Parts: sequence; structure tokens; C-alpha cells
Amino acid sequence: MSSDSEDNFMEEDSDYEFDSDGSDMDYEEPNDLAFAEVSDKKPKKAYEVDFSVQSLQDIKAAQANAISHVAGILGLSQDKAAQLLRSFKWNKERLVERYMDSSEDVLKEACIVLDDTKTTSYVGKPRPGFTCSICFDDTPSKVVGLRCSHLFCFDCYRHYLTQKIVEEGECRRILCPESGCSIIVDQPTVQKIVEPKILERFRQLLDRAYVEDLDNLRWCPAPNCENAVDCRLPHSTFDTVVPTVQCACGNKFCFGCGLGDHQPAPCQLVKLWQKKCADDSETANWISAHTKECGKCQSTIEKNGGCNHMTCRKCKYEFCWVCMGPWSEHGTSWYNCNRYEEVSSTDARDAQAKSRASLERYLHYYNRFANHEQSAKLDRDLYNKTEKKMEEMQRTSDLSWIEVQFLKKAVDVLTSCRMTLRWTYAFAFYLVKDNMTELFEDNQRDLEVAVEALSELLEKPIEREKIAELRQQVLDKTVYVDSRREVLLEDTAKGLGEDRWEFSFKRT
Amino acid sequence: MSGICRSRLAEERKQWRKDHPYGFYARPEKKADSTLDLMTWHVGIPGKTGTPWENGLYKLMLTFPEGKFVPPLFHPNVYPSGTVCLSILNEEEGWKPAITIKQILLGIQDLLNDPNPDSPAQSEAYVMFKKDKVAYEKRVRQQAKENPP
Repeated sequence: MSSDSEDNFMEEDSDYEFDSDGSDMDYEEPNDLAFAEVSDKKPKKAYEVDFSVQSLQDIKAAQANAISHVAGILGLSQDKAAQLLRSFKWNKERLVERYMDSSEDVLKEACIVLDDTKTTSYVGKPRPGFTCSICFDDTPSKVVGLRCSHLFCFDCYRHYLTQKIVEEGECRRILCPESGCSIIVDQPTVQKIVEPKILERFRQLLDRAYVEDLDNLRWCPAPNCENAVDCRLPHSTFDTVVPTVQCACGNKFCFGCGLGDHQPAPCQLVKLWQKKCADDSETANWISAHTKECGKCQSTIEKNGGCNHMTCRKCKYEFCWVCMGPWSEHGTSWYNCNRYEEVSSTDARDAQAKSRASLERYLHYYNRFANHEQSAKLDRDLYNKTEKKMEEMQRTSDLSWIEVQFLKKAVDVLTSCRMTLRWTYAFAFYLVKDNMTELFEDNQRDLEVAVEALSELLEKPIEREKIAELRQQVLDKTVYVDSRREVLLEDTAKGLGEDRWEFSFKRT
Repeated sequence: MSGICRSRLAEERKQWRKDHPYGFYARPEKKADSTLDLMTWHVGIPGKTGTPWENGLYKLMLTFPEGKFVPPLFHPNVYPSGTVCLSILNEEEGWKPAITIKQILLGIQDLLNDPNPDSPAQSEAYVMFKKDKVAYEKRVRQQAKENPP
């Protein structure tokens, strides 16, 4: 499988010229490095998984293959074999076994009728006395019916199928329009009835259903990409493995959840974190920890200092912050509420302190998480600006195209490191602190320091005289940053595998 | 609503007048100029005899392609809005183009005393049906009385 992906990278990269320039320059080419990473795979790194990229043609071929295979074994037509496979989610072994046991049950469940006298659907002239029970027309020129011989006029049938395919996106289980009849409208019949454009859509839906039915396939989520990725790892391992795959189009994503690359955090943690960041629970926490309502006008009040004697700005109501009672009842015990102080108020203060600490902890991680995302964006902007400058240099100086490409590579590495770093903060948020977390935090810090150093380097103004020097520095740093990232990913992947850490949520 | 809808409903109306199940009624609304509005039907479904629903006639308003009980019905599979949750009414489930109004009304009649506990649509009737069958039946009988033919 890994060799497949290499092949795909080869194809992808084939329009670049690896061999035109045998000098030490050509490793700077960004795609070339990506290629080198893949061929380094043996021995595989702990954070990598085996996968292969399947093009739409591969997917179609795989279906055709499975269908002919089953049709051959069971002695069925291609079309019926296809229907059976779809109803068995393409599990050939189970289908053949069940079919050998009781072919009748299997055919019934898959809504197929094997009646030798009327094996094909009927498309033709109506018999005398026919009335379509959809439109009640009794003079249609053409009628259609499946093996169940429920006939309807051609236009009604076409309308029905078009509706199912276009509006509902249905393709596997479009049943005969007769009420209570559960015979599937087979592909040849659909072909005879609907317009070519709708048929095209129908075929697309079938391909899509195929990929969705199989656990080991997932479409590449990149826009306009028609590839799917095949990863044979059982889904039960996804709590300890982060199955990051890369499509031939270059898009890197998680096979488990379809989101963008979120190494080193496992899918479950990512989901929790995103939910936590999305909902307002923390804001609500803050409000409940820091504010109280005025006893009279219900305005929300934050006490940011001073004594317990509160005067509401809005309604001028005077009250005690501790017991919330009117201040007038406090008599002479100024600045000390002795009625309520002892138990409840200490409790209230404890609760406030606790909630504040937990909020601050969350904000610590969230700010760093968000910051790396923001910085990655800024790095991109910087790159775009610099690229223009480099282009100009190319034109005005004797530097060649390839000599100014180091910046692109640096920004690419920087971006992917920032993406990794940001997820380490979500990861760290859920870690229960113990001796084991220290190593993780060290790795995180090393990567962070390296990333910031590279980022700083990239921001330096480019002077023509010093470009060679800058280039060397950037190259060195890029390689170093990339190696730090690898160390972190490698170690986290191992740690997850050996259950090294305790998390503050229940792992499934 | 497109093309065949009106002619289909006109034909359904013809079929219904020829023959319909006992106790049911189904008629298109009369417009101000006393012509029929085929897109809006008033229908009534009788409760089956021998069930707590008997002697009641439950009224629905069909504004194709939708329909609901008016007023909303106390029943586990009827939404508070009066809309019915039934597989043959759902295009993506059991609905077929060849299902007639007659079949739909008979289907709803069957549903009355045979609710589907897997798709509750209102909490009041559902909870009572699940927890206290006696009180549920009493409530249904009461409702039958409030809906005389």
C-alpha cells in the first residue's frame, strides 16, 4: 500500500524535473522533499499510517471487479450481483456465504425478484384498458414496469426517478412506485428511462455510496478533488493512532474524522476541544464566577475591588456583596457582613476561585492554540509579500528561480509546524499533569522555540548582498524545525500507543 | 405544484365519490365562487370500533402536499402542530407515487390505535402511552367524545 502512494507522488511530481539538475540544489524543491519524506518511510515512523490514494477510475474499476467476481461465483447477471453487493455493503465473503445458505432470503432482503419469465423490465406500448395509477392517464404512448409488472406511464416513471435521484440523492434503493411493492429499480431500467444528465448523476451517486459503504475508504475533502484514500487501519485504533493521510492532490487530512491534519491530537480530543471552543460555556462560567445580579433591578454587576458595600449604578440600590441583603440592615457592622460570612460566603469565594482557575487554565491553552493559527496566516501573508520581492530579484539580479525557492519551503514547514503546535495545546489542555507530561511539554517547548526563531528569520528584510547567507540560515533552521516536529510527533504517537498519559476525559 | 397534480387530484376525487370506506369523508374546499379548490381537502377519519377511538371522527386538513389534524390530536405520533408522523407520508421513507388518498386515510386510521413508539412526535401522549396505559385510554375516550361525527 505504501508503494502505491509513492507511485502517486511520482505521478504528481512528474512534471517537475528531478533529474535536469543533479547539483545539491534540487533538494530545495518543495515537492521533491515531500517525495523524499515518503521514500524515507521504511522503516515507517510511529506517527505515520499506511494508506493509498485511489482515483475515481480506480474506484470504478474496483467496483466492476467485485461485481464480475461475485457474478461469476453465484451465476448471476452483473446487474443483480451489483445490487446484492450494495445491500451487503460490498462484503463479498459474507454475501457469498449467506447466498449459499439461503439464496431466497438474500434476494428478498436485497429486493430482487428472480423470475425467469420476466427477467427484464418492460418498456413499450400499453395494453388496452391501461390507466396509469399516478396520473390516471389512459392513453400514454409508452409504459414502464419492472419484473413485478406494476406498469406506469413513461413520463410518470421518469419524473419519479428524476425526483429520487436529483432531489433525494437516492441510488441504492429506488423502489417500484406501486404502494407496498419493494422491488428495486435496477440500473439497466434507470438507464432506459432517465435523461443522460440524470444518469450521470445516478452513476456518481453509486460511486459515492460505494466509498461511503466501505470503512477503509474516505473521499479527499479538498474542493474539486475526486480521489479517495484507502486506509486499512481498523477504526477501533483511532483513539490511540492519529491516521493522517495525504491525498495525491496534496491535501493532508485525518482519515478518522475527515478534518484537516490534527496531529498529534486524537480525533476524540479534537472533537471535545472544538465543542469547548465553539460553545459559550466558558463565557457563562466567567459570568457566574465574577458577577452577581442587583437585588432590585437585576442588572449584572461585576465587583472589581473595594468593600462589600455596593451601590447599583443603575438604580442606586445599596446592598451587601456578601449576603446580597440591603445595606441598611447591616447596622453598624460596616464593611463586614457578619450575618452571612462564616459558611456560605467562604464557600462562594472558594467556588469563585476554582472557577476562575479553571477558566484561566483554559484560556492559557486556547490563546496559544489560536495564536498559532493566526501566526500561520501572518506567515503566509509575509510569504506572499516576499515572493513578489523574490520575483523582482530574479529579474534584476543573476539569481535563478530555484535559488529563491527556499522561502516557499520554509513557509510550508513553518505552517505545518504551527498546525502541529496548535493541536499540542489542545492536547495539553486535556492532559492530567504527572511526571509523564513533562517530556511532552519539553518537546512542545523545543518545537515552539524553533518555530518562533524561524519565523523571526523570515521577517528579516532581504538584502541582495546577504541573500546567500540568509538562505543558508533559513535552510538550516527549516531542517531543524522539521526535525523537532518529527521528534514530537514520534514521541506522542508512541505515548498514545503505550497509554502513557492520563486524560481528563473518558477515552472510548 | 406542477403539471399532473391537479388532474390526479380530480381523478382521486372521482374515485372517492364512486367508492370510499365507511365513515370517512373527504371533500375539496369550496371557493367563494362555489368552484372547488382541489388543492385543499377537508377529510374525516373515524376511530375503529372496538378501540378507545370509536365513535370519534377526527378531522384533517390536506393542503397538498401537506396535511395535518385540525385541531391537533392527542396521539404519540402526531406533532403538536397536528402533522402526522407516518412512514407512508414521508417521501424519503415509504411514500410512493401510486399511493392514493384512500390508502393514506386508511393508514392513518390504522395508526390511531396502533401507535409507533419508535417515533414519538409529542411528549404528552407519548409519555402517558409509555407510563400509564389506563390514563392514556381514558384520555383517548374523552377525546373521542369531543370529536363526534
